[in-house]
Amino acid sequence: MAHVTVRLPRLLAGLIGGALETTVEADTLAAALDTLIARHPELGVHLFDESGKFRGHVLCFHNEDNTRWLPSLERPVKSGDVITIMQAVTGG
Amino acid sequence: MHAPVDTLDVLGPESRERLALEGLELRLEHVRALSILVVMRTLLIIGTDKGAFLARSDAARTAWTIEGPLFKGWRITAIGRDGGRTFLGVNSFVYGATIQASDDLAKWRQVDGPAYPKDGTRKLTQIWKVQPAGGALFAGVAEAGLFRSDDRGDTWKPVAGLNDHPTREKWMPGAGGLCAHAIVGDPTNPQRMWCGISAVGVFRTDDGGRTWQSKNRGVTVVLEDKTTRDIGYCVHGLAQDARDPNLIWRQDHKGMYRTRDGGDSWEKIERGLPSGFGFPLVREPRRRALYAVPLESDEFRMPPGGALRVYRSLDGGESWAPSGKGLPGEHAYDVVLRGALALDAQDPPGIYVGTTGGTVYASRDAGESWQALPFGAPRVVCLAAFTE
Repeated sequence: MAHVTVRLPRLLAGLIGGALETTVEADTLAAALDTLIARHPELGVHLFDESGKFRGHVLCFHNEDNTRWLPSLERPVKSGDVITIMQAVTGG
Repeated sequence: MHAPVDTLDVLGPESRERLALEGLELRLEHVRALSILVVMRTLLIIGTDKGAFLARSDAARTAWTIEGPLFKGWRITAIGRDGGRTFLGVNSFVYGATIQASDDLAKWRQVDGPAYPKDGTRKLTQIWKVQPAGGALFAGVAEAGLFRSDDRGDTWKPVAGLNDHPTREKWMPGAGGLCAHAIVGDPTNPQRMWCGISAVGVFRTDDGGRTWQSKNRGVTVVLEDKTTRDIGYCVHGLAQDARDPNLIWRQDHKGMYRTRDGGDSWEKIERGLPSGFGFPLVREPRRRALYAVPLESDEFRMPPGGALRVYRSLDGGESWAPSGKGLPGEHAYDVVLRGALALDAQDPPGIYVGTTGGTVYASRDAGESWQALPFGAPRVVCLAAFTE
């Protein structure tokens, strides 16, 4: 399985012990996120809403790609890939 | 070596005289032991838009130390305590709402729920209240709903009788959203409880939460429904008498009200108030005083005349008067939000208000005088005072 880095915003760092990034092993983007939540269950409610999808203002990038535009999270990942979670807040 | 009684000024002359009459000798070690029991300090938890702060007083409540922020960057929307466990409602516009619990105010953990079902239509957007009642712990949330915990907040289950009330699909939000923000228990009857929801009204259960009845007779409706008169009321705050659970006051969108019969009927009580509109309302149990912070109308929502005033009633709401000196009397346009008025349990009681401008005012003499804490907080959302 691939070793994938997951980067989190500072507001969520406390939920993984204060670190801003962690590593998961997975073959797909979906599996990487599942592994992340399985290891840190408290993160789930902050990333996903009641529909099971990313919250409206949570952005997730796979390397340079915004996952919002992907047809599916069943996308292969390889070692060295980076998943970045960040907040999308528009306006002031 | 024993100190003479009259050098010990911790007791007033009346108490010293009574001790003498009873033939008791007061020794220094007694006083030291006694002082451990009677020296109380106030812990004020200040919930703000950018985290929680802990303000601790000295015994006189004149000097304060500030710690924080806890949950830096998160909005603190509720503060509750059940036994020695403290709960915070912690919220982010981006990352949602959770309850965080701590037994020592140092280590915090996110508890499991409350949550609406996956794939449902309702979204949990904010924790508005965490309140013990009837032997359990309850959480009021937005979208409006009530959740119950029977394990001191570790897990939560929905109160279906209220969340799926027959009128539920007609509930409409107020300016603060569709939120269950007021929870009042009955110390004499664990089966009875009240819940205030904006802009829906007050509901009461008499069967432990299985069924709930609208209790708004006598209150002016805000959003009149075409098919039922049971909903459309905009309760802002509830306060209960410590001796008579059926004696409840209600700061409503449409005025200040009181019920003497557990909500079966409400009467308006506004004599002396500059406005019937406002949000926070508390009842001080020992002196049986009421405290409220009126605002100029739902249209303007500012301190009337630009003067921040905490109004007090010493006769159960029959009449109201502005409390003492020390609050800004002109050009004060910050407001005190629903949860930002708190009491401590000392005698005389300490009263605390936090403003949207980030100032916390404290009174250590039941509202006779006020001082600003030396602390510029972010916008204050809620306050709670505990005795340490």
